[in-house]
Amino acid sequence: MKLSSTLTNGLGALAVSLGLSAMFVPPSPAHASAKAVEIKGEVIDTWCYFSGVMGGEDAVVGSAHHTCALWCAAGGIPVGVRTDEGDVYMVLKYEGADVLEQTDTIMEIQSDVITAKGLHYVRDGVNYLVVETVVANDGIQVLNHLDYGSVPPNSFPENYLGEQ
Amino acid sequence: MWNRLLISTLSMALFSGAALAEDGAFSAGSEAKEFGLQEEEKALFSGKVVDVTCELTGDCPDNCGDGNRIMGVVRDADQKLILVLKNAQFSFNGPVADLLPYCNQQVDVDGLLIGDPETYAAKFYMVQRIKAADASEWKRANQWTAAWNAANPEAAAKEGPWFRKDPRVLKQIEATGYFGLGHKADKTYALENE
Repeated sequence: MKLSSTLTNGLGALAVSLGLSAMFVPPSPAHASAKAVEIKGEVIDTWCYFSGVMGGEDAVVGSAHHTCALWCAAGGIPVGVRTDEGDVYMVLKYEGADVLEQTDTIMEIQSDVITAKGLHYVRDGVNYLVVETVVANDGIQVLNHLDYGSVPPNSFPENYLGEQ
Repeated sequence: MWNRLLISTLSMALFSGAALAEDGAFSAGSEAKEFGLQEEEKALFSGKVVDVTCELTGDCPDNCGDGNRIMGVVRDADQKLILVLKNAQFSFNGPVADLLPYCNQQVDVDGLLIGDPETYAAKFYMVQRIKAADASEWKRANQWTAAWNAANPEAAAKEGPWFRKDPRVLKQIEATGYFGLGHKADKTYALENE
């Protein structure tokens, strides 16, 4: 993961280096300032990713971790978007809905690589994102179940063939 | 199969508390249970429970969004917004059911800060117990399942843990399988790993 402290030190330079399209939004004195951005990254389960509870970063993304990501999203654990550079953006809202609303929308994009336009906030080293529109969804791109199986193992039925 | 075994073993080791938490700036007095998570630190602190979206954007509905928004605690000691990712339960449960009753209130929280600050410039929080600042009794942060049961009475009446019967989870697995790649990929994997 990349040091996110850089975000607080030079947002303009970082936006350029990340290839983000940035447009300044006037800050409210009482709240964090926001930048309009376009972010491309995988929709991830942030608890397993940051805690290491199920292994390294490579194992808790992609197809291997897809069912667990569904469980965590349904469980109300914050959803993130992880870029190729390793930055993680905590999703606050998704296309107008609060991220924990009990809809199918946030479930349908788990583990997908999306390109989203929205507003980026930084507070105390954490990146937050209000997703306004999703301009592309490339689906699941990390096919790591071929290397790791299902993570955790019990997220794939032991008797899958018998159940069919 | 070796990878699955390795991960399973690692998960068990982590859940058994194989590595002890480090002492951090807020560890004094904490009674948090340790799990050997990434760079975990016990952390007991006071602060204000907030709706994170409100805190950042100024869009502030009543009651912190009624459970639809991620939540955090603005720590009194340094005014840092600590994002809470997890409660004290062990079944993929978030923290909002435990924090929402204290929306915009002063609380004391006890739990774990996790995450490697050298690779990400913040740590995140697992709340294990909480109390209003003026209360004497702590509450265990384990309200998620009761909230889910109340919201999903039909599913709750079935056997098994919530995540194996949650309607939204089942709908996605039905649509795209366990790996999200379609049922053919699931079957191929199952055949190759019999």
